[in-house]
Amino acid sequence: MDEISLLRRTRDDIPERAPEEVTRGRAALFQAIDGESPLTTSNRAHRRRGFAWAGFSALGAGALTVALVAGNVLGAGAPGGPGGADAAAADVLEAAAMATLETSDPVLEPGQYLRVETDAVYPAISQDPAASYMEAVHDELYLPADRDDDWVWVRCERVPLDLTTPEAERAAAEYAEADVDMFYLAPGGELYQGNRIDWYDSRALPRDPEQLLALIYEETASQGPSRDGEALVWIANLLRQGSTPADLRAALYRAAIDIPGVTVTEDQATLNGTTGIAIGRVETTTGSRDDIIIDEKTGAFIGERTVSVDEAGNALSDEPWISTSVTTTVVDAAPADFSLCNAHR
Amino acid sequence: MTIHDGDIIRRSLDHRAAFAELYDRHERVIYRYAARRLGTAHADDIASETFLVAFSRREDYLGGEDARPWLLGIATKLIQQHARREAKAWKGLLADDLARVDIDHFDAVNARLDAKATARKLGKAMARLPTGDRDTILLHTFGDLDYEGIASALSIPIGTVRSRLNRARRKLRAAIEPTNGQTKEEDHGRDLAPAPHAR
Repeated sequence: MDEISLLRRTRDDIPERAPEEVTRGRAALFQAIDGESPLTTSNRAHRRRGFAWAGFSALGAGALTVALVAGNVLGAGAPGGPGGADAAAADVLEAAAMATLETSDPVLEPGQYLRVETDAVYPAISQDPAASYMEAVHDELYLPADRDDDWVWVRCERVPLDLTTPEAERAAAEYAEADVDMFYLAPGGELYQGNRIDWYDSRALPRDPEQLLALIYEETASQGPSRDGEALVWIANLLRQGSTPADLRAALYRAAIDIPGVTVTEDQATLNGTTGIAIGRVETTTGSRDDIIIDEKTGAFIGERTVSVDEAGNALSDEPWISTSVTTTVVDAAPADFSLCNAHR
Repeated sequence: MTIHDGDIIRRSLDHRAAFAELYDRHERVIYRYAARRLGTAHADDIASETFLVAFSRREDYLGGEDARPWLLGIATKLIQQHARREAKAWKGLLADDLARVDIDHFDAVNARLDAKATARKLGKAMARLPTGDRDTILLHTFGDLDYEGIASALSIPIGTVRSRLNRARRKLRAAIEPTNGQTKEEDHGRDLAPAPHAR
């Protein structure tokens, strides 16, 4: 037997890779896929946010802004301090923070889960504009009562919404070929080698709004089209996870008060059937506005959206470019597979 | 119709999730390649990391229909960061690692002893190979790549692949050759005493 034959048979009896490791590797890849922040080919260079949380990715924060609301004309300044949110937005954010602190987080009994359902709509953009279309994605995350236990995450296949051209149909078919429903178990919320499913361990983040905002600016340094825009996106990213505890949620609202350019963008903004008040910020360099939508009375985070705007900051369409709604519920059990996706085709 | 890897990578420039198909197609190959070089304990990380790196560099893909050379090349680079661990694994190569080697290759009576000695000699020789030579012969034997594939994986000319492979083969052959100098005694010994350097 020569050396090549000998080597070919050396360590040839490698056991099959554990299925959970295969899944974990795939999840890590999806995190990268969804976390990437590509420039689209649109001339206006809209940009998808870099989200660490896979299926929840391309969901931005955004808003429909037909008319800048009254508070906006007060301009930057007032309660948020120089360069902070305008007076109306600061009032709303402070009220939401107060309400949040008065509302207790749901208490989970042993064995129960906090279910975070996320429904998002966003564009699948192609180099060929005719092949672009909108698609919807449904994700459910189940956080165990003991956060060190297994978290369960189901990410359903994306569903194309408006295939109006043969090119778009073809692109969607190709995309569907590579997309599948996914089921993940993440021990202690960790999907792969320190990559947390909830992006940040909320227990480790400061509750002091100033410290929190300083950390946000540090974390987002050099990212995004603008320092302040990226800070608001960071806040939206964290809120979108649905698992943010009340004290941190309040701190996030208060941190947003000190972000320049933040305004009330719509008094009655409805996402997925729930209405709240939209707080957002126009990003002139990308021609978009990111909004977070909150229930001022309870402080609950309803969702977020991104709207395309013209140079004056006016919305170009009644429909948001990207939108995400988040619903949290306490449930007695987590799924054992991805069959729930059948209801979201 | 099967869509080839190159198409998937190009498509993933616009439709990022398409890249996941590449993982499903090749993660096993990459995992096995890494496990055979570094052991299973580290192969999961190498396999996962390979696809993360590949995804981030997909715009630079210049390969053809089969992405395996490209992926194995990335895995090889990642494995190089564990050179000491790999050398240790080779030095510790056991007869059991050659379990699949046909037993009739060895003298029936001394099968275990011969396998043990062969494993030790092969392992030591592998550990001593220059990195480039080792990568080349392992991409050929563990990665199942031809000369062209290896050249693509390591970004070296085919002539270099040939010379590296020849050099590595000569060294390994010399090491495991039964009649090779001082190892003659243990290869042809009739008693079952441990070989001189066996542990």
